[in-house]
Amino acid sequence: MVRRLLFYFFFVVSIIIVPTLDLAAQMPRQRANPSGPVDEVFWAPRVVHLTSVTNLEKNNLDFNIKHTFGVLTNGVEDLFGLDAAANIRFGLDYGITDWLSVGVGRSRFDKLYDGRFKLNALRQKKDGSIPLELAFTGNAAILTVKNGYEVADRLSYMGGVILARKFSDRISLQVTPMFTHFNTVTIERDINDQVVEEINDIVALGIAGRVVLTERVALLVEYIPVLGDRNDQTEDALSVSFDIETGGHVFQLFFTTSQSMTEQHVVARNRDDFLNGDIRFGFNVHRVFSL
Amino acid sequence: MTRIIISAFLLFLLNTPLAAQTFMGESGTAEFTSKVPLHTFTGSSDFLIGQVNLVENTVDFYIDLTTLKTGNKKRDKDMLITLETKEYPFAEFFGNIQTEFDASNPAKQPVKVAGEFKIHGVTRKIEVDGTMQVTPEGLNIQAEWQLNIKDYNIVPPKLLVVKVDEVQDIKINAVLAPVNN
Repeated sequence: MVRRLLFYFFFVVSIIIVPTLDLAAQMPRQRANPSGPVDEVFWAPRVVHLTSVTNLEKNNLDFNIKHTFGVLTNGVEDLFGLDAAANIRFGLDYGITDWLSVGVGRSRFDKLYDGRFKLNALRQKKDGSIPLELAFTGNAAILTVKNGYEVADRLSYMGGVILARKFSDRISLQVTPMFTHFNTVTIERDINDQVVEEINDIVALGIAGRVVLTERVALLVEYIPVLGDRNDQTEDALSVSFDIETGGHVFQLFFTTSQSMTEQHVVARNRDDFLNGDIRFGFNVHRVFSL
Repeated sequence: MTRIIISAFLLFLLNTPLAAQTFMGESGTAEFTSKVPLHTFTGSSDFLIGQVNLVENTVDFYIDLTTLKTGNKKRDKDMLITLETKEYPFAEFFGNIQTEFDASNPAKQPVKVAGEFKIHGVTRKIEVDGTMQVTPEGLNIQAEWQLNIKDYNIVPPKLLVVKVDEVQDIKINAVLAPVNN
């Protein structure tokens, strides 16, 4: 009797328990954790005027249109700046690789053409092994308005180092120490007979931050203080932008002091002070195509 | 007493699947092809995880949807929002092999599996045709089927986006290595 009971016991144990020792029929589901770069420190390759650290992927083409209008302080008379002369830039940026992009653009003011590059040397990693983004950016611009200048006198340049970090899905920060150079500068008198002098070389620090408000909307602030010597009667540019992402497009609706569009012109030519109410409305539209 | 222990041991062996008849892999490829007017794009991931048990005839595959890439970050982001991956991170299939498969035959053999496919929190019964082949590396599995996103309550974004075709072509390809218990 005891033997029979023992046999049944082992039989039941064998039938019920042993199969569970084998690999479970259905695997437990586990999230993948690729140690790749973090996603989009900023949604667009531009903050407002600054080049953002965000890279364009290989064979992606970013077509961007940028507008800035007149200052809001003129009120209803010129519909808060919308009737004033707008600066407009059309740009194309292309990702040659995941870490190198080049672009060209044309701005209405001064009939300015610019060519630019961005090299993403280090990408912040999801696993924390690289905590920062590091990129190098630069541009050269040539004004083509008829003014009798030689070609060399029309050129200006910007070179910068971009350091950025995405702290969380909501918060990103970027700093861009930059050096700007104009081949030609002017000394002139303003309407008050004050001497206004420009200098060739200016150092500035671009600072930008992003707070993601919803899945589709983010608030950005961009501040570009000049460090050291600066052009007379210029102010540090400040901009506030709402970025709206809608499937392939990024719309940037911003308020800014600067009507210029390339970094060196924003640094060297901005004469408006945000805190004095010299604010103008503008927008960027980015559309990314995969080629 | 000795007979009982021997009998129990034999039962143990009978219930333990042979090691070489369970296969597993974590780097299979899953690919989908999506059509929009005037344009077709493909998304893929190399993070397909699968397990096949030839004793129990079970097939189990899943993928973390956030690993799918289409070559356009904006499109990827839209896709993840559409699939609500924060709530439903996986696409998964669990089913049984319906046709005969001879593991001792090294030729590629057609197989049919039937089971439950789950994505976006919706589970539906499906049947998938594919092939399996035992190779020196393991068990090579290939399969293709079509997925109608409407069946899974997946609604593509409409704002400023050309509407994506409801039917997506799905392909998987995986080499699952033999598992030693």
